Amino acid sequence: MPTALVRKTWRDDRRALIGWAVGVAAFTTVYTGFYSQFQGAAQLKQEALPQGMLDFLGIADMLSPAGYLQATIFSLIGPLLVLMCAITLIARTIARPEEDGGMELLLVNPVSRPAFAGQRLAATAAAVTVVAALPGLLLLLLVPAIGLDIALSNVAAAGAGLVALVWCFTGIGFLVGAVTGKRATVLAVTGVLAVATYMANAISGMADGLGWLRWLSPFHYFIGTDPLHTGWHPGALLTLTAVGVVTTAIGVVLFDRRDVGV
Amino acid sequence: MTSDLAVLTEDLTKFYGDHRGVEGLNLEVGTGEVMGFLGPNGAGKTTTIRLLLDFLRPSRGRTAVLGLDPRRDKAALHRQIGYLPGELAFPGRDTAEDLLRFFGDARGGVAWSKVTDLAGRLEVDLSRPVRTMSKGNKQKVGLIQAFMHEPALLILDEPTSGLDPLMQQEFLAMVRDARSAGQTVFMSSHVLAEVQHVADRVAIVRDGRLVAVERVESLGRRAVRAVEIHFHDPVDPADFTDLPGVSDVVVSGPVLTCTVDGRLDPLIKAAARYEVVDLLSAEPDLEETFLSFYYHSEGAGDAHRTRA
Repeated sequence: MPTALVRKTWRDDRRALIGWAVGVAAFTTVYTGFYSQFQGAAQLKQEALPQGMLDFLGIADMLSPAGYLQATIFSLIGPLLVLMCAITLIARTIARPEEDGGMELLLVNPVSRPAFAGQRLAATAAAVTVVAALPGLLLLLLVPAIGLDIALSNVAAAGAGLVALVWCFTGIGFLVGAVTGKRATVLAVTGVLAVATYMANAISGMADGLGWLRWLSPFHYFIGTDPLHTGWHPGALLTLTAVGVVTTAIGVVLFDRRDVGV
Repeated sequence: MTSDLAVLTEDLTKFYGDHRGVEGLNLEVGTGEVMGFLGPNGAGKTTTIRLLLDFLRPSRGRTAVLGLDPRRDKAALHRQIGYLPGELAFPGRDTAEDLLRFFGDARGGVAWSKVTDLAGRLEVDLSRPVRTMSKGNKQKVGLIQAFMHEPALLILDEPTSGLDPLMQQEFLAMVRDARSAGQTVFMSSHVLAEVQHVADRVAIVRDGRLVAVERVESLGRRAVRAVEIHFHDPVDPADFTDLPGVSDVVVSGPVLTCTVDGRLDPLIKAAARYEVVDLLSAEPDLEETFLSFYYHSEGAGDAHRTRA
């Protein structure tokens, strides 16, 4: 049975969660479901766009089923949606109540500070994980249903990668919120970091001598390993998860040490 | 002796950067006592309360609340504390009922009849979302969550703010009931009248420092009162100006006006040398007495630099 605080956190996030879940599910279903109809357009798109642009957008090929899914679901809009969901929700764990004043009545919960932070985080992380897992879970149903020629194990690997990517940025967002207590700072720092590391991953593939950049980008560990073609890369997934876990742990420790609500 | 004290602070100090919140606060609140915590806005009342609750960490000094360490024993301590924030904001969009069920569950279960009793006393409809409530009704919900689990210590920051006079009376009755039940109440206010009828003692802070701790009934004895004496013949001001406790002496012919701090005896003895026609002594006003503590004392001018 989840604690009262965890249930309260879910209840307060309910509307946003349902909205994001519906949006992400609809996006995944619509894009995947129209694979055959989009093929003509995709071919045109691929021929019209210069190779450099395709590389930047993370599009290897739009014609094969794996290439199509990678280009549509996993390269830009999919991660963008689930990361926006994760970052806005993680900003609610500490920063938002601290700013709007609701924190005092949450923090009088008879649990220690670290336990308070842990429960808020656990509730939000669980919710965010569900949203982030939706594309992968839906694809596990849609891919065989539509008859796309991709190994389900590879679909699962890509789906897991999206979850790990979200954990990575959720941890970073939590850390920023736990330390600053400022919602705008969480959104700005985590958002800019996501965009910058996305670009770093994209640019590293285009310019000689910048290849090392991708090792700094979470997006490389998520999609740079090409899971839809090559399957599971546990090291990459663990790296993303580790970043999330470590930033979270640091966030809990620093939150336990600071003044709240001033 | 710690077990007899619900709240103990020793040299409690909090700076925000160079900004002083409170400094060198030594405060003792006995178990079962109702203490008013008074001072102008920005004197450091809320800072002190947030230190007791471990929202803020002291720059110096230490605190024991119910004999526990606010940080180390936060979980055990907060189960026994009912807290009403001064700037009341509720998390989420819940109805008052759902919100109060959350507070009850979080504190290990509260008999719902206790909540409905309090709601009945304060005349508040719990079925409405708290967000849509008026300030007064929000304050009532805040009071219910503070009292609902019958905590050993109630920490109430400006509890009567937003309540109409009738509800203020009901609130004071709740405080009296709490004291009868052996609960300790520590309540802040910037108006003495709000606490003088229920408090056993008042602690007065000004500019981040504790300036006085008094029993409420002894506040009257310290009262500054205005005195006017009508004599039969004109009098010499010099006979009155150097008397202990007497100031603002004005003599116009046979009429003397002055203010007296403390006992009237020296003034009466001096006046007795003349033929006295009439003597008027204004009832000591506690509010004025209270104000005189911080408005007429040194250092009051920089009170605005400190934070609440």
